[in-house]
Amino acid sequence: MRCPQCGEPIGASDAFCENCGAPLQASVPDRATSGGLTLPNVAQSGEEQFAPLHEEPDELPVPKCASCGGEVGGDGWCTVCGARASNGREHLAEQPSPTVAAVTDKGRVHPRNEDAYAISTAGTWTALVVCDGVTTATDSDVASLAAANAARDLLAAAPRPGRSPSARETHWSEQLKAAALAADEAAEKTASKSDDNPPSSTFVAAVADGSVIVAAWVGDSRAYWLPDAGPAEQLSVDDSWASVQIAAGVPREEAEAGPKAHAITKWLGIDSPDIDASTSTTIATTPGWLLVCSDGLWNYCSSADDLRALAAKQPADPLARAEALVDWANEQGGHDNITVTLARITPEE
Amino acid sequence: MPTWTAEVFQNEYLPDGATDVHAIVTVTSAGTGHAGDVGGAAEAIIIDCSGSMGAPQAKIVAARKAAAAAINEIADGTWFAVIAGVGLAEPVYPPSGMVQADQGTRAAASEAVSRLTPRGGTAIGQWLMTAQEAFARTPATQRHAILLTDGKNEGESAAQLQAEVQAVTGEFQCDCRGVGADWDVAELRGIATALLGSVDLIADPADMAADFQAMMQTAMGRGVADAKLRVWAPQGAELLFVRQVAPTIDDLTDRRTNVTPLITEYPTGAWGDESRDYHVAVRVAAKPVGAEQLAARVQIEVGGEVVTQGLVKALWSDDSALTTRINPAVAHYTGQAELAQVIQEGLAAKADGDEDTATFKLGRAAKLAAETGNEEATQRLKKVVDITDADTGTVRLKRDASKLDEMALDTSSTKTTRVRPSS
Repeated sequence: MRCPQCGEPIGASDAFCENCGAPLQASVPDRATSGGLTLPNVAQSGEEQFAPLHEEPDELPVPKCASCGGEVGGDGWCTVCGARASNGREHLAEQPSPTVAAVTDKGRVHPRNEDAYAISTAGTWTALVVCDGVTTATDSDVASLAAANAARDLLAAAPRPGRSPSARETHWSEQLKAAALAADEAAEKTASKSDDNPPSSTFVAAVADGSVIVAAWVGDSRAYWLPDAGPAEQLSVDDSWASVQIAAGVPREEAEAGPKAHAITKWLGIDSPDIDASTSTTIATTPGWLLVCSDGLWNYCSSADDLRALAAKQPADPLARAEALVDWANEQGGHDNITVTLARITPEE
Repeated sequence: MPTWTAEVFQNEYLPDGATDVHAIVTVTSAGTGHAGDVGGAAEAIIIDCSGSMGAPQAKIVAARKAAAAAINEIADGTWFAVIAGVGLAEPVYPPSGMVQADQGTRAAASEAVSRLTPRGGTAIGQWLMTAQEAFARTPATQRHAILLTDGKNEGESAAQLQAEVQAVTGEFQCDCRGVGADWDVAELRGIATALLGSVDLIADPADMAADFQAMMQTAMGRGVADAKLRVWAPQGAELLFVRQVAPTIDDLTDRRTNVTPLITEYPTGAWGDESRDYHVAVRVAAKPVGAEQLAARVQIEVGGEVVTQGLVKALWSDDSALTTRINPAVAHYTGQAELAQVIQEGLAAKADGDEDTATFKLGRAAKLAAETGNEEATQRLKKVVDITDADTGTVRLKRDASKLDEMALDTSSTKTTRVRPSS
């Protein structure tokens, strides 16, 4: 990223340009309003009569620390108490159409949300992308958002194939692999040269093109197909230590509870050994839900059938359902960031 | 334009209830240019010409050659003077103040130092004051001296010396060298440390010229006249210590000045293209598991601008796999700092005739040197003690250890080996 005023490189979480001092956080409230829900600190209350909302103030106020009210430094941390400034992603929600919704939440234990989603829908076509920033690396929240947006943008701009299911499968498999590469490139750009612990992120994306659903992934964020009838499917296979164990015959519950269960074997980022996304395809024959989520949800409910049963108890509206699933994961402990994206799929005639 | 980077090595994960955050911050400068590029540079060469420098004659002969070697490295345009340390200090060249280096002045200065003769006492504080008077008569802002002595400070009281060192602290930097076995390592180290310079023993006068040449080359290669280390710690936190740990150990904690109630500043002197490591320890209030906070901002300030910054963080976790990891850089330099301390304490005890303490401390040093892979320290220790078992720190004091070997161990105790932590 570059400063809009002087063009010097900036970090995506910087509050001010290090070079020229230009404030950079103007876009945070925009991001936060996109879902129209539970949005803290959007400048609505306390506005004076003479400062109408639609007018840009001459100077953006210095960001204040949510913990102590001190000034937030250009490095994104409070200059008084040392609290990390919000990245604006404690809780975000979005519903671009009546059948598609996304919710991401910080959870109850992590200090900030490093998950990101990016979604796009048009007619019977939908793309859902979820990236989970790796907590042990620096600025992974910046990397995950950049990655998710890059993948979504590539998919949304991709040409649309014909009606043949095999043409759609081939086309979207290729596009999704390309999207993973674009996501990786975007994640890598967020790393600074001297970072010994560069940001990294998982990647999962699914495209529903009519009845054809193609998923692609790098890491352990997941895509599920939860049909109203017939067997539910986990479309992705984690690139993780637990998966390796399961493939070797260890029961799923045991492998996923192991101490290294969350050690992933593939990820996006500058230090990634392998970013070749795996893909899988399913054809919807009955109506159902396409669920793309981070491990903040599936940690508490891993099997596809259990997830379908859990989801079926929630409201029918996709946004309300996604919110309810996030609430449920928080009630289970909210040990990780939680991201749930849902699309209601109706098979084509 | 110089470029600066700061890299932080730490385990930011703290167990529930923990309060102390340790980090090693590696500061690296590049493209710094040459001394005097900004504001001009000045050099003083102070040569001990006390009577003892003539016994043996090799010392004064070596000092003449060493001064000439240093003069030869002074870049054109740099202000300089050579001062003879006799009872009081006397200018050798020029007759007063300083001159700017060129071929002619360097040749004249070399000719003048060839006539240095031993004839006085040792009053290091006086010599430093004389150098300061000469510096003050130049417009140069980057000021550096080389001081050579062969004896203890006897021409003035310790209190007088201390007051004089204090008077010139911050005015110029000074690298100090001792030749022979009759000078006091602790005394000279105190002067060098206050004046942001190095201290070393020249055991063999024949090595002096090469050492002086190298010192002057280093000084001429420092294009940033003055940089300061700045440390921010959050409100309510306690800064436990700030220590340079590479290339040498130097505790900066007591040299702090307060910039704001939360920011302290420490002088680091001039910089060439180099890398220095700092160990910063901060005590913060414990926070609940899952909370994180910034524990320190470690910055370099040049000319009022912060040119680089490293962030030291704290993140409380209930995952013992994360919280029990010991950062290799922090562990290494913690060991190296203790190594320097026990060597100095052990040698001091030995000098006081307290052999039990000396044996214990130098035994601990042998163990630490082995553990931290400091081969140079091990070799120097072996000249002073017989190491029976490095693993347990069992040593016997050598009966025939030479004074020079003890001094070599003492002066080099603050030199550290570096680790590059594996990721």
